[in-house]
Amino acid sequence: MSAQFHKLKVAAIDKPIKDAASVTFILPGHLYKEFNFYPGQHLNIKFQIKGEEIRRSYSLNSCPHANEPLQITVKRVEGGLVSNFINDELKVGHELEVMVPQGRFYADIKKDDYKTFFLFAAGSGITPIISILKSVMIIAPYSAVNLFYGNKNQDTIIFKNELDELKNKYAGRLNIVHILSQPKVWTTWEQWKGKKGRIDTDSVEEFITANPPVAQSTAYFICGPGQMNLHVRKTLLELGIPKNLIHIEQFGGSADEIKTEIVPAEKAALIAHLNGNKHALNIPKGKTILQALKDNHIDPPYSCESGVCATCVAKVKNGKAEMKSCMALDDDEIKNGNILTCQALPTTAEIEIVFK
Amino acid sequence: MPILPVQAYTSQDWFDQEQEIIFGNSWQFAGLVEDIQAPGDYIAVQCGHQNIVIVKGRDQRLRAFHNLCRHRGTQLLRAVGKKQKALTCPYHDWTYDLNGQLISVPEKEKEFPDLELDKICLHKASVDIWRGMLWVHPKPDAAPITKWFDGCWEHLGPHDPNRLIEYPDTVYEKTINANWKIVAENYIDVYHLSHLHSNTLQMYDHANAKFGFIGDHYMFWEPLAKDYKDNLEKLMPTKRIAEMTDEYIGAYVPWLFPNLGLAENESSWSTFHVTPLAPDQTKVVVRTKMEPMTDWEYTKQTAKSYASWSGILGTDSKYKNSDPDDPMASGDFMAEDIYACEQQQKSLKNPLFSVVATAQHGESTVRNFQKIIQRWMK
Repeated sequence: MSAQFHKLKVAAIDKPIKDAASVTFILPGHLYKEFNFYPGQHLNIKFQIKGEEIRRSYSLNSCPHANEPLQITVKRVEGGLVSNFINDELKVGHELEVMVPQGRFYADIKKDDYKTFFLFAAGSGITPIISILKSVMIIAPYSAVNLFYGNKNQDTIIFKNELDELKNKYAGRLNIVHILSQPKVWTTWEQWKGKKGRIDTDSVEEFITANPPVAQSTAYFICGPGQMNLHVRKTLLELGIPKNLIHIEQFGGSADEIKTEIVPAEKAALIAHLNGNKHALNIPKGKTILQALKDNHIDPPYSCESGVCATCVAKVKNGKAEMKSCMALDDDEIKNGNILTCQALPTTAEIEIVFK
Repeated sequence: MPILPVQAYTSQDWFDQEQEIIFGNSWQFAGLVEDIQAPGDYIAVQCGHQNIVIVKGRDQRLRAFHNLCRHRGTQLLRAVGKKQKALTCPYHDWTYDLNGQLISVPEKEKEFPDLELDKICLHKASVDIWRGMLWVHPKPDAAPITKWFDGCWEHLGPHDPNRLIEYPDTVYEKTINANWKIVAENYIDVYHLSHLHSNTLQMYDHANAKFGFIGDHYMFWEPLAKDYKDNLEKLMPTKRIAEMTDEYIGAYVPWLFPNLGLAENESSWSTFHVTPLAPDQTKVVVRTKMEPMTDWEYTKQTAKSYASWSGILGTDSKYKNSDPDDPMASGDFMAEDIYACEQQQKSLKNPLFSVVATAQHGESTVRNFQKIIQRWMK
């Protein structure tokens, strides 16, 4: 996995809603090919904020098949360092260090597909989802999309107008159902007549039941906070949808699956194979493998540092490690010895890992 | 000259091979979408030698499985059923969930200690929905149905079958004593329309029909005859299909390979489904959908049509005959077709049987169909 960053200039900053910023990048011609991406993938971006280097992953909301420039959209999180920086301080003309698009949450859409896509998004989780949605509409004329989109109220629905336009343009192939947890009774435009509530077990079952697919080949993409993702996944599995059709991207905060009972080794000797080099060092109790490597000025690939993006994945050759949280690997991958080094605490006195 | 040998219509060998090669390898009509409504509802359909079950899961997806228990091959389910939570074989009660996964075996510990249930699944088939119809393919990895019908859609009528209603007493079922290909060839024979049906399909202008093949599928359209068109509101047997605006009006009568005819016209939309039973026996089921209508609207329109018909189009049958059972005097084009097919089949075993010539234009469709069969059977 290429860990190389490229300096990209900010071309525009728009406000799709009051508390979010859409950042558009200028991509120099020589990087076009490298920055090709699948709808659903994200950018890893390096920020320098108050003298500190911080990395974050943001899904691309632009559609790779619509001739749109690279764009991410970031919602302000209360107290969030980077999201507030982007919303308040980032300006047109600034440069950010950006890694080529990556991520395993994506849709591989083919022209001849006769497929029904079920998309679930909450809040800024709409960003990779709208990219997938538009790609299906543009590339696959026989395929259809059902989107279930949850927000707090009328004013926090990112891309509301664009989605309305798409719904009109692709009537018959695109079905969008909004659900609001705290709809405003009156707004300047209209009274909320849509669904009220959250994307949870009941509402997901209702959504699935109300929208039987025409094309019987189906795929399910879920992007929202941990709690929502877990509910949607659980409901879909209970309804009989095979695991391999369900794709999840974790957004906003860490997962709720954090294990609390890891007993890390008192001190662990680490051997890490990275880009053909062998590094040996000690990991103090409680530190993640990634943190220990960074403390020793070693630069393995990493990005989100919250167990979501899978940039920092490595394979355990000897010894054992357990992850605090893991939303990026499936059961089989974990069984095969893969770990997210940003979440992994060694549980044996010696551990040897290999970065891919 | 005929492309296919006489045996293609008479021999059990040919029949069995067709069942395997054609019907075992193509998408086939399995019913209308509304036949399977709630989770757990299922239907079983025959595709050549293979019986296939289509069942709807709680996730609203359809699944298709070969209807045979993995234990000793017994057929699991009968024709139709409602609200199954699982599929249980009647023989030894082996039970599968709606994903086809084996979930229970009676006396497992004692009789099958080493059997790993999670490794056993019903054989999968493919299922999809296209144009308001259910389709199955015996292979689990069949190419998409849209690929199978690539290019056909724009030659079909503007009808939206999902919106139309099937009235229960409109189903027509008949076993015909003829090979299934004779029935298909009759359906696509343009030459016979003005002759066999000179007094039953005179609403359409056969001379201006447009037809041809898209892949293995036959497409056909013909305009309304002038007298019918000029008096359409009076003569139409039932309410006009909303999408059938003047721009589109006419009869769309394709044959979707291998065994489904459609009849999409100004006032109805029908499926003509042919199931081969034996070399000389074929079952035909016709199902018809129409605009939603109240009983009163229906009665009013049919009465008006009936009252106006003879004055404008005439009601003479091809043969004047007082015998009410004579198909050729019935005034029913379906009875005329069945009669012709059965008469054709009867002659095949006559040693003097031969075809001296076929119509250059109006029977080119039959020759093409036979070439398609020949290619499949090679």
